[in-house]
Amino acid sequence: MIASPDARTTGSFRDPAGSVIRSRDRILRVVRPEFVAELEAFLCTQLARRLVESAALVSSERVPGEALEGLPAGEALYEHERIPFPSYPYEWPAEMLHAAGLLTLDLTLKALEEGYGLKDATPYNVLFRGPQPVFVDVLSFERRDPCDPSWMAYAQFARTFLLPLLASRDFGWPLQQTLSGRRDGLEPETIYRTAGPLQRLTSPYLQLVTLPTWLATNREDASLYHAKPAGSAEQASYILRNLLNSCKKQLKSAEPRADGDSIWSAYLDHKSLYSPQQLAEKESFVKEALDLTRPATVLDAGANEGHFSMLAARTGAAVVAIDTDPVVVGSIWRQARAENLDVQPLVVDLTRPTPASGWRNQECMSFLDRADGAFDMVLMLALMHHIVVTERIPLEDLLALAAEISREYLLIEFVAPQDPMFQRIVRGREALYSHLTHEHFEDAAKPHWELVRSRQITGLHRWLYLYRRRRAKN
Amino acid sequence: MSKPYRNPLSSFASLALVTIVILLASPSDVFGYADPGTGAFLYQAVYAACIGGVFYFRKLLGRIFRKRP
Repeated sequence: MIASPDARTTGSFRDPAGSVIRSRDRILRVVRPEFVAELEAFLCTQLARRLVESAALVSSERVPGEALEGLPAGEALYEHERIPFPSYPYEWPAEMLHAAGLLTLDLTLKALEEGYGLKDATPYNVLFRGPQPVFVDVLSFERRDPCDPSWMAYAQFARTFLLPLLASRDFGWPLQQTLSGRRDGLEPETIYRTAGPLQRLTSPYLQLVTLPTWLATNREDASLYHAKPAGSAEQASYILRNLLNSCKKQLKSAEPRADGDSIWSAYLDHKSLYSPQQLAEKESFVKEALDLTRPATVLDAGANEGHFSMLAARTGAAVVAIDTDPVVVGSIWRQARAENLDVQPLVVDLTRPTPASGWRNQECMSFLDRADGAFDMVLMLALMHHIVVTERIPLEDLLALAAEISREYLLIEFVAPQDPMFQRIVRGREALYSHLTHEHFEDAAKPHWELVRSRQITGLHRWLYLYRRRRAKN
Repeated sequence: MSKPYRNPLSSFASLALVTIVILLASPSDVFGYADPGTGAFLYQAVYAACIGGVFYFRKLLGRIFRKRP
């Protein structure tokens, strides 16, 4: 399949060595002629082979230039394996940013032993397969001068991993804001202004925030940025290993707490809403639906603690779980990682999904564009009342959105106005929802969805529906 | 006559700054293009100088305490 060169402004383009082009289902990397030899040399090293085998680095293969229309002479073309669902750092819970940082440091340390260094250290170099981080920027590896004791990307690592994690944990600044407003993370000076005077003198603030702020100078002297070479290669690598290990310690100290508080982690004792028998009924409906439809990919919208995401993943589906609360999404990640289940949890609000952003608003795709045609089944369990009541999205629109995202199936739970949770969120506006019966719901679904099976949960004002799309999606 | 009090950190930092600016090093062959940050880069340079010193010190101790010269 021939890819269009007009896609050249998309993907990654800042590295002088090359750029990435996304075509429909191929990930192609164009490499400038002067950098091909270095990339080939790197891909042949034991380091690269081991990293690809252990799934820490994405695989790369040279492909003939004809695969890309209009490729200039001399430029080489590589194809990478496609990561099923790319996500961006501002969609990650803190736990995932932390894992991406750990991977980056581990790769830098391993590369150091083989005479390589990392040109840049940004979370945009990492994507996730389920809960596992994988490094995707092969051009980031370069041969380093053995006597060079400096890591140029250190400041970027601090700005994009360490400082946002610290700010998230200690000041409550959500990653969704600190990493989406600016491409390159937080400057030390920004944190310095917010940190208390005693806090500034404690580790890791002292090394990451205070000293860089005090040392910063207005001199525009380019020679400032060329580090004095070390006396020997041994000394240089000793210094670098020391620096990287201290980054590791700082990353560990910025680790998000497992017992974080949020309104939702308390709410999910929504299991308290269901009696054990009712929960078992819901589970068996979902299990049977999954067995019947065998979806390869599932989107769990409003996943909360991820109970049903895990259920879907155990049947062999690749799951993307979304919810609005970073603490709850973080706990899904911990569980998926611990049980090695293919669930990628993201902090995304279905009613205000991540927009397209970056250069020309094409660098980072919107969530809906990535989700389009990506899921065989969409789950909307214990969700629709929040969307219809709290977010005031018309029910018909919600069902239409589900039909755009899902390739075939929708498993949705209808919550009637008599339900206690519904009553808790309606707060005096019951009159708006007096028409909302399960019959009305079924009528609203008819234009897009054909009923496969349904049941009411015994003793609750909640109905479960398995629907199939009326119009086939390519 | 008593010495005027000087903040030890700022004099150390000034010394490091002067050292770095004066010692015009040969440019490294690194093609890094991410912003190295002013304060962070200087911190790294100071850190490298300190750890480099520790490296020599440990090597020296090793030489002193080795059985064979």
